[in-house]
Amino acid sequence: MAVNLNLQTSECRETRLGSITGYHGTLKDMARQGCEGCLKNSKRDFSTGCSCSHSHCLDQLAGLEGAVIIDHSPVGCSAGLCGYNRSLSSSFYESKNADQKRNLKIFSTNIKEQDTVFGASEKLRSTIQFAYDRHHPKHMYVVSSCVSAIIGEDACSVAEEMSEELGVPIGYASSEGINSKIWASGFDAYCHAVSKALLKEPSEKKDIVTYVGFYPKGRDHIEWMFERFGFKMLFLTGGSNLDDFAKASESKAVFGQCGAQSSYLCGALEQRFGVKYFQSHLPYGGIGVERFLREFGAYFGKEDIAEEIIKEEKENYAFRLAKVKKKLQGKKVFIALGASFAYEYTRMCKELGMEVVHTVAYHYDPHLDNETPDKVAAASDVYELDQDVPTSVNDGQNMETMITLKHNLPDIVISRAHRASVWAIKQGITAMEVRIGLPMVGYRGLVEFGELVIKTLANTNFEKKFGARYIAPFTKAYLESEPFSFIKEAQNG
Amino acid sequence: MAECIEQSRVACALGGIYTALAIDRVLPVTHTGPGCLAQAQGIFGRVNGGQSPVPFEESVVPCTDFCNTDVVFGGGEHLRTVVEKAIEYYDADLIIAVDGCTAEIVGDDIEEVADSFEGSRIPVISAKLPGFVGNNLFGHSQILKSIINQFLEPTNEVDPLQVNVFGIVPFYDTFWHGTLERLEELLIAIGLHPNIIYGHRHGIENVKKIPSAGFNLVLAPWVDLDIAEILEKKYGTPYLQFDNVPIGPTETTKFIRTLVEYAHLDQIAAESYIRKNEDRYYYYLNRQQPFIYSCKYVPKDFYFIGSASAAVSITRFMVNDMGSVPLRIYITDNVPKERQEAVRASLYDVELEDKDYEVIFTEDGGLAEAELRKEHESRSVIFGSNWDMLTARALECAFIPVCAPYGQTLLGTKNYFGYEGGIDLFSDYYGEISVNPQVAFIG
Repeated sequence: MAVNLNLQTSECRETRLGSITGYHGTLKDMARQGCEGCLKNSKRDFSTGCSCSHSHCLDQLAGLEGAVIIDHSPVGCSAGLCGYNRSLSSSFYESKNADQKRNLKIFSTNIKEQDTVFGASEKLRSTIQFAYDRHHPKHMYVVSSCVSAIIGEDACSVAEEMSEELGVPIGYASSEGINSKIWASGFDAYCHAVSKALLKEPSEKKDIVTYVGFYPKGRDHIEWMFERFGFKMLFLTGGSNLDDFAKASESKAVFGQCGAQSSYLCGALEQRFGVKYFQSHLPYGGIGVERFLREFGAYFGKEDIAEEIIKEEKENYAFRLAKVKKKLQGKKVFIALGASFAYEYTRMCKELGMEVVHTVAYHYDPHLDNETPDKVAAASDVYELDQDVPTSVNDGQNMETMITLKHNLPDIVISRAHRASVWAIKQGITAMEVRIGLPMVGYRGLVEFGELVIKTLANTNFEKKFGARYIAPFTKAYLESEPFSFIKEAQNG
Repeated sequence: MAECIEQSRVACALGGIYTALAIDRVLPVTHTGPGCLAQAQGIFGRVNGGQSPVPFEESVVPCTDFCNTDVVFGGGEHLRTVVEKAIEYYDADLIIAVDGCTAEIVGDDIEEVADSFEGSRIPVISAKLPGFVGNNLFGHSQILKSIINQFLEPTNEVDPLQVNVFGIVPFYDTFWHGTLERLEELLIAIGLHPNIIYGHRHGIENVKKIPSAGFNLVLAPWVDLDIAEILEKKYGTPYLQFDNVPIGPTETTKFIRTLVEYAHLDQIAAESYIRKNEDRYYYYLNRQQPFIYSCKYVPKDFYFIGSASAAVSITRFMVNDMGSVPLRIYITDNVPKERQEAVRASLYDVELEDKDYEVIFTEDGGLAEAELRKEHESRSVIFGSNWDMLTARALECAFIPVCAPYGQTLLGTKNYFGYEGGIDLFSDYYGEISVNPQVAFIG
């Protein structure tokens, strides 16, 4: 039982799940060690910055409809949230709420030097009041920061008191960047806060399957499949509202976009309300969706429907899939992605006949928050499909990824968000930023992905010419260093 | 007024490292949490015209990834190891070790760490950048002060025509790079020897030349005056303040004449340059009048929300050249109290009889949205950052981004400096009005 909603805060992934950010070897070895409980984390003697749990807690909370977020921090800890503002895209969440045309509502309490000495609880209280008066929100969240934690602020009590005073739910998320090397711990803090503040006892159970993720985008890949089973879908994503969260406990099944973003909320629904959390097989690509549907069908005694859907989905994309496989056969791919999608894409690339030369995962969870002893998806692939790949785990350490890349020259780098693609392009290697979540479901997701890889590889003039002109600002000592030379001793925890 | 901030248009002091990153081959090593730089990156990089520093892009900036064990045991040794490796791996000319909130609270001695690298292959200096002390402008100042106090060597050779350019804060001033390129051309054209430390083809050699300048030029209402004062004290270099980055003919001509007079430059050549460029400016405007006066509403007033520097530039151009009137000006970058009167004076120093507008100093960017949603002039124009775009749309106003975070678009060489910048802003301004039927359409 990993989720503990009785605690004030979620525990970080390292202590809760034994998750790691330092490893190099093979997927088989790592998954085996993870399952046997002997996986150790390796530290580095050199590192670069990347991302922190604080910002990923903030960006998830801020996306909820009608929410106001109070960042109990100095001025800059939420400055980057402009990168998630709705001004950048009016269709992030495919939501028709008027809220989607307005700015995210994030306040910084603006902790100053004197507050680090005398405390900032009054400042937090007045900020909550001020933000409430300005926006009259339906729900609010207080998020702690490195500074508020180090100076010993009891932000949770202030949030509780103000919630009572104002009569609106005020969730508390403890998400300090210094607390975890894994930025996904911030997703957990978000999940913990909404689980405590918004989930309600169900009045009845319904044939609903809840999806936890960033966006509902790609729902057309999978919604029809659940409809065949007689299930409707409920989305707990950015753009979701209080009502969506209140209804979630009525669902009979839940699954998430990935282990990183979704596990804690899915686990909370399973633990508190008996909603079955499907996490061992994610529905991505052809192999993925087949196993997911069979598991889902078997659980609800609807195996025949699962087989029908699989047959139909497979037939619909067989022609395009054959064409894609022919073109991609033997292409070398290097993957750098989050804990789940690194290995989902490893399987999908292999399904397309590509050779995965190396997979970097930004962290690895040997377990997730499910109540059952089921394996995590990457380990399921190892044990069920005999999947293996040379792999390493780093928290967006691009200096490490870059050297690994130099030793594994691929035809294409597949990545997302944390700039591995940028460093590939600079070195003249083709790269592609890929989708995650529902658009990757099924044979359709697989085929559409494969077709994009083919397009991306059709003309590589830009990266060749760009790479040829690029002068790396690094020394020979670095450029000729061995991969993983930053990694030092492995240790427990 | 509440101290809290909604819609922050500044980063914390750590954002000051963008000033270091703007100097070619200067490498900051951050003794901070793993995500601190990413916050500044959002507002100054990704959502600021898609800029990233060259050659040291953010994702390879060394960082100790300060964590709980550093709180308990101190992180000084951790920083020392990362700096050591940075010297081994990076082809840099200068390393600046910087810390943030957590290391400051814990009391790690980054100065001692930097000093311990004396004589190393790459010089190492340090700068303290705790976010609870100030925003990115404070950080910018800390970086420049560290370079001046810990790196620069005095010189006996002074080039009376050499002018160091200050006042433009890289990245925070979204248009910094294009502005500096055009400014450099202009300064050369009127006979000066510009020394610009930031951007392409500049770097540590320009930094080293700072003490040999004939004078320092501060192009801002208040930023970098502290730097100019330090340089005056340290090297006896006088400074000239021109209170804004000039946009359009009125300010640019005034700027050139100010320089000519101050530095005793060739007046005839300068006047010929002015005439040629003013003519060109009005030639381009001439081409566009029929487009503007073709069944369109032409707004005659505007709101401004953003930095003090951009406020002065935009207000001067909009009032003096475009014939518009400010409705309200929100300055969101925490101008120090002692500098506020000077900024205010700059904002009222315009060719306008009735100066019936308010200037509001607040860090709370959300204040502008809240107030304007209550009451605003319709069919007006909002100059600001990406935070103001949805507000402008909701209020049926046109929107021109001029501050960080600029928006999710690629900036290219874009800037509004000088005569040509005036043409560009003129075009963007009427272009934006025209594509907003709620503003332009008169039926």
